[in-house]
Amino acid sequence: MSLTFRIEKQIGFIEVDQPDSKVNVLNLETITRLDALLDDVKKQQELRAIVVLSKKRDVFFAGADIKEIEKITQSQDGAAKAKAGQDLFNKIEDLNVPTIAVIDGVALGGGCELVLACQYRLATFNDKVRIGLPEVNLGVVPGFGGTYRLPRIVGLSEGLKMILAGKPVDGQKALRLGLVDQLIFQKGVGQQIEEFVSLIDKGGMVADKYKRKKQKGMPAFLDNTLVGNKMVFSQSRKSVLQLTKGFYPAPLKAIDVISKNFYMARTPGLAIESGAFGELAVTDISKNLVKLFYLSEKYKKLSLPGIETIKPQKMERCAVLGAGIMGGGIAQLLAANDIWVRMKDINYDALAKGYKAAYKIFSQEVQKRRYTKAQADVKMAHISAGLDYAGFRRMDMVIEAVVEKMEVKKNVFKELSEMVGPNTILATNTSALSVTEMAKVTKDPTKVIGLHFFNPVHRMPLVEIITTPMTSKETIAATLNLAKRAGKTPILVRDSCGFVVNRILLGYINEAGKIYQECGNIEGIDQVMTDFGMPMGPFTLSDEVGLDVGIKVLHILENSFGERFKPADIFEKVFAKGLLGKKTEKGFYLHAGKKRVLNPEIAQLSGVKNTKPLNRQECEDRLIYVMVNEAARCLEDKIIDEADAIDVGMIFGTGFPPFRGGLLRYADSVGLKHVVQRIEEFSERFNSSGFKPCPYLQTLSQQNKGFYS
Amino acid sequence: MEKIAIIDGVRTSFCKMGTYFNDLSAQELGRIVTHELIERTEIDPKQVDEVIFGCVGQPAEAANVARVIALLGGIPQHVPAFTVHRNCASGIESAAQAVMKLHLGEGKMFLVGGTESMTNIPFFLTKKMQEIIGNLSRAKTIPAKLQALSQFRPKYLSPKVGLMLGLTDPVCGLNMGQTAEVLAKEYGITRREQDEFALISHQRAIAARQILKEEIVPVIPAPKYKEAIDYDNGPREGQSMEALAKLKPVFDRRSGTVTAGNSSQITDGAAALLIATESKARELAREPLGYIRAYAFAGVEPHRMGIGPAHAIPKVLKKAGMKMSDIQAFEINEAFSAQVLACLKALETPSFADEFGYEGYTGTIDRNKLNVNGGAIALGHPVGTTGTRLILTTLKHMKRNNLNTGLVSLCVGGGQGAAMILER
Repeated sequence: MSLTFRIEKQIGFIEVDQPDSKVNVLNLETITRLDALLDDVKKQQELRAIVVLSKKRDVFFAGADIKEIEKITQSQDGAAKAKAGQDLFNKIEDLNVPTIAVIDGVALGGGCELVLACQYRLATFNDKVRIGLPEVNLGVVPGFGGTYRLPRIVGLSEGLKMILAGKPVDGQKALRLGLVDQLIFQKGVGQQIEEFVSLIDKGGMVADKYKRKKQKGMPAFLDNTLVGNKMVFSQSRKSVLQLTKGFYPAPLKAIDVISKNFYMARTPGLAIESGAFGELAVTDISKNLVKLFYLSEKYKKLSLPGIETIKPQKMERCAVLGAGIMGGGIAQLLAANDIWVRMKDINYDALAKGYKAAYKIFSQEVQKRRYTKAQADVKMAHISAGLDYAGFRRMDMVIEAVVEKMEVKKNVFKELSEMVGPNTILATNTSALSVTEMAKVTKDPTKVIGLHFFNPVHRMPLVEIITTPMTSKETIAATLNLAKRAGKTPILVRDSCGFVVNRILLGYINEAGKIYQECGNIEGIDQVMTDFGMPMGPFTLSDEVGLDVGIKVLHILENSFGERFKPADIFEKVFAKGLLGKKTEKGFYLHAGKKRVLNPEIAQLSGVKNTKPLNRQECEDRLIYVMVNEAARCLEDKIIDEADAIDVGMIFGTGFPPFRGGLLRYADSVGLKHVVQRIEEFSERFNSSGFKPCPYLQTLSQQNKGFYS
Repeated sequence: MEKIAIIDGVRTSFCKMGTYFNDLSAQELGRIVTHELIERTEIDPKQVDEVIFGCVGQPAEAANVARVIALLGGIPQHVPAFTVHRNCASGIESAAQAVMKLHLGEGKMFLVGGTESMTNIPFFLTKKMQEIIGNLSRAKTIPAKLQALSQFRPKYLSPKVGLMLGLTDPVCGLNMGQTAEVLAKEYGITRREQDEFALISHQRAIAARQILKEEIVPVIPAPKYKEAIDYDNGPREGQSMEALAKLKPVFDRRSGTVTAGNSSQITDGAAALLIATESKARELAREPLGYIRAYAFAGVEPHRMGIGPAHAIPKVLKKAGMKMSDIQAFEINEAFSAQVLACLKALETPSFADEFGYEGYTGTIDRNKLNVNGGAIALGHPVGTTGTRLILTTLKHMKRNNLNTGLVSLCVGGGQGAAMILER
């Protein structure tokens, strides 16, 4: 750790520059060194101010070292680690000269807590400035005094909001919140610091950082009166519960901590915080979230051996073939990332649907203030549409999203192949069909790839990138690059029916259908899965996506993998009745009114009588283990390389509960022996081919191994 | 000098004020044609040297609307853009500017056009109301605010309609329709003649529906995106002399002959052309629609603005070294029946040529060669766009019928005429 201290014009500068790293991280070593440095600094006489600066580009402190959080196994150990950081920051706070943090980039977690300990905070006009406390995303609460200082500086309600959402703010917002005292230019920082110190000398700043923010009206009432505070705490608790359904303890714990230490002196207040940090840091949930953080970092930067050196081809113009909801969603995603998009379909009604889908998303984003109206208009203006192939020769990529019929797709690819330029990549958004077959009908199969987005495109973070043996490395590199540019997390899958996510998920939905046929309890089954942490139950999901889609994919899978994907009778019956779900306003539920009600037609259709009561544990096990078994088959078939990729796929593609760490990590935590035993039991009892344990899974369990260990 | 080629062009359909394009701004209409022209011609937009758009009611929220159109329409930001305003000849002006710049060697390819949302030309507050609002916002104390408010009278609320202001000549004080009345009286053009001319415009536009689709880019209007609009909604299927005869004169209620039926319609729409040197067109391996041979503008008395074409046409013929008989297709914008008919009469009167020194460059225009696919009376007249449409429609007509020469002309509010000769 390179820490330097210099004095210029009676101002002391502490400069942080961690060697061999792009960022500064707060770890044990930094804390010790900084602590020692502060002892030296204290001996300096007649300093006007002490300034803390980072020498890294766009980074102040990226946060505490996550590896150290991961290593904590004892809550006392966690609490002690937190206390060490708290003590250091107290030392900074207790210096008897003014302390100023200068933030020219990210100041997250511990980095944010460091600047909170300083008396003053300056941020630059750098767009990369982000200040915040994202600890809850790792299943813990801030441990270096963040819960104590932030609500005192920006006010209780804003402080709570920042800590509970874990979302950092930019410079302008920080200024508005009173989190920073001034914004300064990136050029001439030294001069501006000097001027600020003079301002302090002249008494131009309120010395007490907790009294600097002036509030009036409602915010003042909420932040500064006991009654107001009570309202803030109870409201926060309510919205956290609604959002997390109680699966994530960290934000609730943060509310507990702050509702106590907001009224305490520093020492006991910080003790409560470090205690809570220690308790949370040892939970499985925190460990899983930390692992997930690593995973998502890894997959955001995903590459393949041999493609790192390839400069991905430019992506300025794309065409989307087949407008509709999916096509419109893809067009919106591309347009949002400033790519010019041409939608093509066979009639104007379809194009209108595509426009409408894209426009709706942009309007929602404007409502959520993610964009201004003008920004959204400019992005929407990137989309045009037509019935012919106008402009296709110049496209960098064409993404096909027409109906899921191989014959149609083949015709489309054959025709496309004649219409596009030599550099155009042809991508298919098919959810299950063979990319290889499509590639074979084109002039240049090296340019054909699968790019499987999930519905709704703008919300689902995952894309499956499907490669065929013919797909070139250049094509893969360009497609990976596009996925990253669009802010998606990609996983690489070898072409095989259903790829990975749909293959696993449809086995699960189909199993739910079979359970229903035994117990006749749609809501009960859905409830079991939402209690497990899935964002919605299998029948609700089917209604969202549309049963027609599900049935189609099941048939495709059945064709390739045989009986285990044969749709449950109930699905065939409901499908035949046209009860497709939300799109027809009737599915397993009725979607006409505001409230969702069970569709009574389903019970009549199914003819299920003499129903057994739903066995919740068995239901959960069947639904989860059928997925584990299928995932093991995917690994066995070498469609996908790593268990990580499956966990990433299931979490970001289906909303598999992140706190469980992922499908396969969850299976490991239950123990594969138990999993295999249950699968064998189900296989016998239900005579179900889906539950024949896959050899790979059996081997792992016999060797006492897990997917990860 | 190198020939100037028009590579291709597109337009939106023309929709009557307040109909399908109600929610589309002038910049959005311009954006649509620009985007479409890029896609259809498959050019690299980086190669466009400048974007020039004509627009009369320039939107307050999109100053220099050409720049806004360029940026929204997919032209890279390093390409500059400017807006031109020559009233009804703004579209012609955008093309004329490109010709000049190409001849000066300031670029090889220009994207030009016209755009107009007459629907969205705003209403203005009265000056009094503006002052009150201004004083109110400057007033610091409550008494001062009350003082400012006390000046308010309900009559100040009556807005000034921007569209009407734009269609009134500030120098002679006459509304455009009134200038047409001046010409009708001067040239003795009867109500019947005017209505007959209007009827033919509708009949021809109806007959040309399919033909006109060649130049129209279907628009699916935001924000409802309900349906694609790929036809002009001005032409009336069942238009008859009886129906036209029933209409009352608008501009001179007692003694006038100019009615809503024999005037152009108030309409929204945009059009764009890609103009380049002949060598650039060859480099792009595209056969141009045609070439611009010459253009001319002429000034006339503001209260007789409709006679403009009768001056601009001889002027441009002289410039091109051509005679009236050399031209195989004519488009004279139908601002008003009376005004077009007055021009035709003037051009065939020897004394007119004498008076202005146009000998050899005037003559009779065969009605069967004039506005053969209908004109603004049926199709509508989005003022900034019409010039561009006339060029596009004429070139497509010449191509279909294998004609070599065409001439487009417009009268221009404020007392001007514009004309351009096209060839293939």
